[in-house]
Amino acid sequence: MKMPTTMENVITVLVLIAIVTSAGSLWYGLTVADDVGTLTDSVATLVDQMGDLATSVASVATSVADLATATTADLAAIADDITAISDRVKEVEKEIGPTLTVIGPWSGAEMDAFLPVLAAFENKTGTKVSYRIYRAEDLAPILPAQFAAGQAPGDVIFMWNWFIQEKGEEGHILEVTGLIDEADFRPGVLDLVKVDNKLYGGAYTGKGKPGFWYRKSFFTANGLTVPTTWAEFLTLVDDIAAIPGIVNPILSGDGVGWPLSDITEHFIATYGGPQLHRDLTNGTVAWNSTQVETLFTDRIVPLLDGDFSDPKTWDTYIENWWNGSEYGLYFMGSWITGMVDDPTDLGVFSLPEAPGAEGVVFSADYFFVPAYTEHPKEALELFEFLASEEGQSHQVAEGGHIATNINVPLDAYPPGVDTDMAIAMTGKETLLDLDDTIGGEFQTTFWSQLQLLWVQPAQLDAVLDAIEAKAP
Amino acid sequence: MRTEIISAKKNLPLFFSPALILIVLFVLFPVLQTIYISFFSSSGEFVGLDNYHDVLTSKEILNLGDVSQGLSQPYGLGALVHNMLWILIHLPLSMFSGLALAIILRDVKGASVVKSAIFLGMVTPMIVGGLILQFTFEEGVGIVNGFFNILGLEQLTRTWTAHPETALFAVIFGSVWLWTGFSLIVYSAGLATIPREYYEAAKIDGATPFRTFFRITFPLLKPMTLVVITMTLLWELKIFDIVWAAVGEGGGPGQASNVLALQMYVWAFRSFDFNRAAAVATILTALTLVVSVWMIRYMVKK
Repeated sequence: MKMPTTMENVITVLVLIAIVTSAGSLWYGLTVADDVGTLTDSVATLVDQMGDLATSVASVATSVADLATATTADLAAIADDITAISDRVKEVEKEIGPTLTVIGPWSGAEMDAFLPVLAAFENKTGTKVSYRIYRAEDLAPILPAQFAAGQAPGDVIFMWNWFIQEKGEEGHILEVTGLIDEADFRPGVLDLVKVDNKLYGGAYTGKGKPGFWYRKSFFTANGLTVPTTWAEFLTLVDDIAAIPGIVNPILSGDGVGWPLSDITEHFIATYGGPQLHRDLTNGTVAWNSTQVETLFTDRIVPLLDGDFSDPKTWDTYIENWWNGSEYGLYFMGSWITGMVDDPTDLGVFSLPEAPGAEGVVFSADYFFVPAYTEHPKEALELFEFLASEEGQSHQVAEGGHIATNINVPLDAYPPGVDTDMAIAMTGKETLLDLDDTIGGEFQTTFWSQLQLLWVQPAQLDAVLDAIEAKAP
Repeated sequence: MRTEIISAKKNLPLFFSPALILIVLFVLFPVLQTIYISFFSSSGEFVGLDNYHDVLTSKEILNLGDVSQGLSQPYGLGALVHNMLWILIHLPLSMFSGLALAIILRDVKGASVVKSAIFLGMVTPMIVGGLILQFTFEEGVGIVNGFFNILGLEQLTRTWTAHPETALFAVIFGSVWLWTGFSLIVYSAGLATIPREYYEAAKIDGATPFRTFFRITFPLLKPMTLVVITMTLLWELKIFDIVWAAVGEGGGPGQASNVLALQMYVWAFRSFDFNRAAAVATILTALTLVVSVWMIRYMVKK
């Protein structure tokens, strides 16, 4: 056997390589052909899908266009409806008038007695009125900010007189000079809402602070009589103190301090006279003057050694006075008639032996129309009504109020204490509540310093100095 | 990654802007405006530090003329001193009461109910709290006086809020009850973070409960103590509502329980002297700022 030559071997290897390469190429070609087919199919599917997508996009675009057209139409329709409603509201407002907002301090039974007055106004004018409760203390931080923004939370607002003067002068309150006849009111009562002869507020009804209240049946049961002299008053206090169970003959209210100021004012008006009361209000007599100090030393301080109770805040003590278990006398305003279950058993007496003209401290409720009311015409109508004989007659008929309008007839008052009060005040000099008239920081100082005096009478001089430091 | 960080940094002002605008409008501007108007008179004239001088020399704020009379004199010792008394009495009492209760209640079953009951004082509106205090200390109906009567301490029976020497303390002691819930909750949370092993090791080493408290519990509660002190201090400095409700806006008998914030209110909304009120507000802000900065510095250091 002949061995192949090198050349033959090379040729054989090359032939084998050629065969293998050809076979591989053939196999690869067949495989790629499959892939290309698959790819072609995919591209065709994709093209189909893109076609579908284009159709969908076109459909969505059509829908959006339809929606836009519909929305525009709807919006136009809604705008038309709003215009129609607005027009209708205006028509209705023209027909029935706007709704006024009155802001006042009364809640509970006192609010119930005020709402009939507003109802009477509604019946008379057809203007609707809604009532919101805000005490003056709560309004004080709100109103300045509201006014600064050119707004007001109500159309007629009850507020402190000094606040009305201050804000009226600043232009936040409508001037009402000439709107009401000032001759129809108790002398001086409107002076507190005037600045430079310009009237900025009205005087509603008010409360008298005539003196010490007692229960007639308690006096009868214990053989007590109403005093006519200072000596008899002191004897009465001693007699009450001797009754078993009595803690103090006179109950002192507290609240935030104002009941003590009412008691003090009564002593000043009685034993200092109405002129001293006015002078202290105007700041022409000093609180630490000899005249005032003597009055306190002779009349008030001796009673602070156990005759007056400590200042009491809670109404439970009024129960203890009313049932005679702990106290015999109670100094309070005429609204006490609404705080006891049998007002016909109530009696009242002023401090006896008043020198000179008699005066009764009277505290009116003041109201105003803000310059920013949206309904000035109707608000001023309500203003006039509240100041009128008609409006105040409605209020006094509910009990516990005394009219500032002097045309309110006596028969408008409910029989009993209210009528007695109205009669008692007729012809007497009306003194305006001292601390309400001055207001401001003086008022809180006056209250808190009297609270101190009531429990530390030895501090009298320092207390009077502190009050004088804040006096006008 | 770096690009994302740079982008986020670039957008930071954008993310902050909503909150920033609100803070500038409703916090920063009023604060600056308050400070600004404190340098002017009510007629708009620049008066420099006159308002601050008036405030700090007024008896309502500082009344050290006759210290021997204490709170029984008109204006008491002045609102600033009353605030300091609040801090001196109320802070340690409420803090240690809360701590003591937290420790006592730590291992008690059903403690959460007791804690909730104590915490109720915290969630009670302070205006309501003030009225409750007034009622609590009333001579004839209050529970405190009833308690004194039972104990035979009739000489202490009185309407506490009606007497100058007791009015301030009545409000402070009553507030301890209302505020203790805060320190109780904070300390309870702090106690839960202290590992039991520390106590076991101390027990094995024979440490007394007293030593364990001062060497383990109290030091490890230091961050909580700081929070309690800071928050209580701030509350005491700006105290207003509870005093207003308990003794009235006049600040109690002879203003013996008056405080800075209440005096600020009276000057602002009774006298409508916003400039003097602004001076008090600025002083209050400065005082609270000192406390806040102290706390922030401590926390940053930690």
